Amino acid sequence: MTNHWIDIKNSNAVLIMGSNAAEHHPISFKWVLRARDNGAKIIHVDPKFSRTSARSDLHVPLRSGTDIAFLGGMMRYILEKNLYQKQYVTEYTNASFILGKDYAFKDGLFSGYDAEKHIYDRKKWDFARDDKGVSLRDKTLKNPRCVFQLLKKHYDRYTIDMVSKVTGVSKQHLASVYETFGATGKPDKAGTMMYALGWTQHTVGVQNIRLACMIQLMLGNIGVAGGGINALRGEPNVQGSTDHALLWHILPGYLPAPLATQTTLAEYNKATTPKTNDPLSVNWWSNRPKYTVSLFKSWFGDAASKDNDFGYSWTPKVEPGEEYASMFMFDRLYKKQMKGAFIFGHNPAQSMPNSHKIRKSLENLDWLVMGEVHLTETTDFWRGPGVDPKKVNTEVFLLPCCHRGEKDGTTSNSGRWQMWHYKGIEPMGVSKSMGAIYTEIFHAVRDLYAKEGGALPEPILNLDLPKAYDADKTAMKVNGWFTRDCEVNGKKFKKGDQVPSFAFLTDDGATTSMCWVYSGGYPAVGKNLSQRRDHTQTPMQAKLGLFPNFSWCWPVNRRIIYNRAGVDVNGKAFNPELPVITWDGKGWVGDVPDGGGPPMAQGGKYPFIMHTEGLSQIFGPGRVDGPLPEHYEPAETPLTKNPFSSQMNNPAIRWIASDMDKFAKHGDPRYPIVLTTYSLTEHWCGGSDSRNTKVLLEAEPQLYVEMSHELAKEKGIKNGDVVEIESIRGKVQAVAMVTVRIVPFKVMGKIVHLVGMPFAFGWTTPGVGDSTNRLTPTVGDPNSYIPEYKASLVNVRKAVKVTELER
Amino acid sequence: MPKTFLIDTSRCTACRGCQIACKEWKGFPAVHTKQTGTHQNPPDLGPYNYKLVRFQEYKMKTRVEWLFFPEQCRHCLEPGCKAGADAILEGAIIRDPTTGAIIFTELTKKLTEQQAKDVQAMCPYNIPRWDKKEGKLTKCDMCIDRLQAGMVPACVKTCCTGCMNFGERDAMLKLAQERLATVKKNHPKAMLLDPEDVSVIYLVTEDRKLYYEFAEARTPAPMPGMTRQELLAKAAAPLGRLLG
Amino acid sequence: MNISRRGFIKLLGAGTACFGLSQMGLNVKPAQAYATSLKTAGAKEVVSICPYCSCGCNIIMYVREGKFISSEGDPDYPVSEGSLCAKGAAFRALHVNEHRVTKPLYRAPGATEWVEKDWDFMLSTIARRMKTTRDRDFKTKNDKGQVVNRLDTVFNLGSALMDNEECAVTVQALRGMGVYQIDHQARI
Repeated sequence: MTNHWIDIKNSNAVLIMGSNAAEHHPISFKWVLRARDNGAKIIHVDPKFSRTSARSDLHVPLRSGTDIAFLGGMMRYILEKNLYQKQYVTEYTNASFILGKDYAFKDGLFSGYDAEKHIYDRKKWDFARDDKGVSLRDKTLKNPRCVFQLLKKHYDRYTIDMVSKVTGVSKQHLASVYETFGATGKPDKAGTMMYALGWTQHTVGVQNIRLACMIQLMLGNIGVAGGGINALRGEPNVQGSTDHALLWHILPGYLPAPLATQTTLAEYNKATTPKTNDPLSVNWWSNRPKYTVSLFKSWFGDAASKDNDFGYSWTPKVEPGEEYASMFMFDRLYKKQMKGAFIFGHNPAQSMPNSHKIRKSLENLDWLVMGEVHLTETTDFWRGPGVDPKKVNTEVFLLPCCHRGEKDGTTSNSGRWQMWHYKGIEPMGVSKSMGAIYTEIFHAVRDLYAKEGGALPEPILNLDLPKAYDADKTAMKVNGWFTRDCEVNGKKFKKGDQVPSFAFLTDDGATTSMCWVYSGGYPAVGKNLSQRRDHTQTPMQAKLGLFPNFSWCWPVNRRIIYNRAGVDVNGKAFNPELPVITWDGKGWVGDVPDGGGPPMAQGGKYPFIMHTEGLSQIFGPGRVDGPLPEHYEPAETPLTKNPFSSQMNNPAIRWIASDMDKFAKHGDPRYPIVLTTYSLTEHWCGGSDSRNTKVLLEAEPQLYVEMSHELAKEKGIKNGDVVEIESIRGKVQAVAMVTVRIVPFKVMGKIVHLVGMPFAFGWTTPGVGDSTNRLTPTVGDPNSYIPEYKASLVNVRKAVKVTELER
Repeated sequence: MPKTFLIDTSRCTACRGCQIACKEWKGFPAVHTKQTGTHQNPPDLGPYNYKLVRFQEYKMKTRVEWLFFPEQCRHCLEPGCKAGADAILEGAIIRDPTTGAIIFTELTKKLTEQQAKDVQAMCPYNIPRWDKKEGKLTKCDMCIDRLQAGMVPACVKTCCTGCMNFGERDAMLKLAQERLATVKKNHPKAMLLDPEDVSVIYLVTEDRKLYYEFAEARTPAPMPGMTRQELLAKAAAPLGRLLG
Repeated sequence: MNISRRGFIKLLGAGTACFGLSQMGLNVKPAQAYATSLKTAGAKEVVSICPYCSCGCNIIMYVREGKFISSEGDPDYPVSEGSLCAKGAAFRALHVNEHRVTKPLYRAPGATEWVEKDWDFMLSTIARRMKTTRDRDFKTKNDKGQVVNRLDTVFNLGSALMDNEECAVTVQALRGMGVYQIDHQARI
């Protein structure tokens, strides 16, 4: 989230799209309804009428996978009706930047496309630059090669007629949403967008969100109260686990994973530290080497020194251009290239797409170490449906994990608040925290290397990881400390002092921090800010619903990021009624300002400090699949032609090929129905926690499939019948829920039916049904490789024999 | 001063926090349920379910209406169930004078199943349920233990949207009128359900008949052996009104 | 000093019961029409956080003699103001749950059942498997001769269920051993 939960109440229009907030983030609706009480319009755009729609002013059903068409239409409307916020767009975005001669877009393809490799040469999308390398601008926005003009041209094709035909949304609905949300382009109005997996889980997921951001920038809705682009993060600590980089492609604090080509720290720093010659750009990432060195210093302690690149060479390097996201990991496992695995608090046999392939792949492991609270479809894959345990040679270690209430530590909510939780009871049985288990496994391995030696023992023997896991000590280490007496930024520190904030991290080994964005949360011994429970506010903060003294928030306790874009060049808030920050002549008051310094008119710098150019990107040359979002059909689509271009699917998709990776044809008559999948209030993700909490299972006991009355009638299905849903990859049984909340879509003149299913039910809970993901395909967004769970093709019929559900 | 709930269904998101919080506070076990083509589960109130969010959906002229009704005992000001029980066994059902909570005491164990059924039939909202295992009549007790400790009922505490409100009767009646006036702007059919007769006042946005059978008070069946006059003499206001 | 609603109760140095009765204007005379006792009276209050969505609702655990007796939303958390959804309301039931795995379980290749084992067996066996695999498959250089120091045949999945501090040590331990194929629910 750029903003935070409470701030939703400050919105004049709330667009909930790609999210079912009332069901999946129920507490968010406390604030959505407060906004509504204050006169805000609540709009829910979603294929299904859900509990969110029930409390919104308007529900707009949309064919799953057509969000870019919908939002592209909104962009066109905003430009056509001049609804954008001119000063914001001119001063704070790259709308005025002039594109270089190589940029072009034609028939769904951007310039630089390599059709064989399915990749773009992104250099072709660069801006025209002066001799210092600073991008050329035309603040009149008239230059035909400036971003603003190219944007107009790009979205000119997204007429209401065309968008209506592609999305299945009525023209009246489109106009109504565009008008309502477009009205927040006025400087003193704000609109927020709340999204979740409904936007990410598409082969165009990243561009869905890019286009949303672009609209928010055009309307001046970023950095203001009641605005923002607000990812409703899913899993309990997915904000924190992403910050701390339980991911292959980044190190903690969004530092890129080192590549094989970056053989030294100097080469890594050079490749990952952006430069600019624009004196007005803060270019915060120029500090990256400080964060990198502090991270390695915290990992390898005294063994990390300048002479050995702080241990850089010990850490793994990945091959450039290679993909290691989970869908690729499992493909390697399926192809028997993997031998061992650690799977903790994750249930891929249930929650990853094409479960049949995942389940089959697991049989190829020599050993599997699992940390879990309950038995799951993954812990017990070796005795799953149709599996003969005697033929599965995987050795499985299941380690009992304790629950949240049985341990200390912090999690980060969607608004980036880092909050401490306290251990209330002892872990059940002999279960332990996952942190303790990983630590103990590591030390057991380390003991063997200490005794016996082996392949490259140095990183293992030198790893500075205390034997006993201690949340408090780790929290201190995450913040970081000084490793010697030194002076930084004119302040003197003693060895062992906690680092006050990341502004004091250095690239010479004098500091540690396990994740620089969290530096500042534990700035002194005994001062763990995540434990703060203080409600003290200034009147200005009270009006905003800002609680700067409750817990702590990264970065540097800034509650609304990009907040310097929420003020004009003189430092006055665009909305004087609800300033997030304001310049009082001497300094900023309100929230912690983004980047500090005076207002721009008084010699201050550009507000988007994390961007090399200091300005936000209407034109985004950093994504692998294009600088401007374009509509492509889902990998499996009911259409035979993309109405917008001759590129049917996202051209940058890397397709996975195996005998178990089958895809329906475009417009496949065998699978004419769109399937979308989702969660529900009473269950959580793969469902192992909530299914095993029987009071929750009582409320939502079995797998169902929601479908329209029209489809049910066509198929002779009655409400409550057990039906079989079939894709090219598998079959699933579920109880039919025939509902007026799902409607057929009229797409390009034809009727397209859509069905929706949760994916929380699995065979380890008897009689409830089994993984919906036996239907979904292994294909994902080429930037994130998040799978396309939200749109695939199936058929539905009444089940002849009920085998998967208790009746 | 008796307590009153205002349940503003225009704010309910059917998150079912109240339904689960109720079970959890009471320490009730889960009941075995099945999916039958609706999100409403369990299908009905029961000895382990004093609170149930009911779901009804309709295709209206211009939009879909999905109506949520977090059902519970209304704690009638003059409760029919108590009138019925008093005729059999004084003290089986009592009205706590401080809170106005209608409490089914352990004495309901002394009722036969048939007597319990008769008492049940006296409830205009079809709330009491027979607990076969314990052999007693059960229903919501307004979390009287929490009230006596100065806390609000579990369902109210857990509600995230302001649907469940609880407090002094005067304050709740005032809030009810204010909310009604606001809600009416978007929902001209909005109304309060039987505010003069009950301690649990629902604000609904559509015709009450659309929610479920007993959103509208029913005419109770008189107790066996009881004359219509006797019933009227004992019965609660909503019953009296219904029986005319 | 910050005085929150719950903090104020604590300042009184008494359980909620004493504070509440007068606060609610209830009749405190000893003869109640219907007397009850509060199951959480005198229990220790511990703040935890809901382990489901990212609303991060703070939850008060009521603990007596090491037993988890009840839980409810923490009114001091400004986001939830004490409320919870269905899942949050079942926080205690999630913990006090007969369906949990409470002992290490081992499944030998080809076995048809789990077998209970102790931690020592599990840790030493896992470490041996890891070392054997790592020693065999660890790659110091790639085909181009560049130093890569990585283990290509072991991966890690999970978990967004973990605390920040747990994530920090996990990433450190994994990358320290050369495991880089790391992923979790952020990519779901």
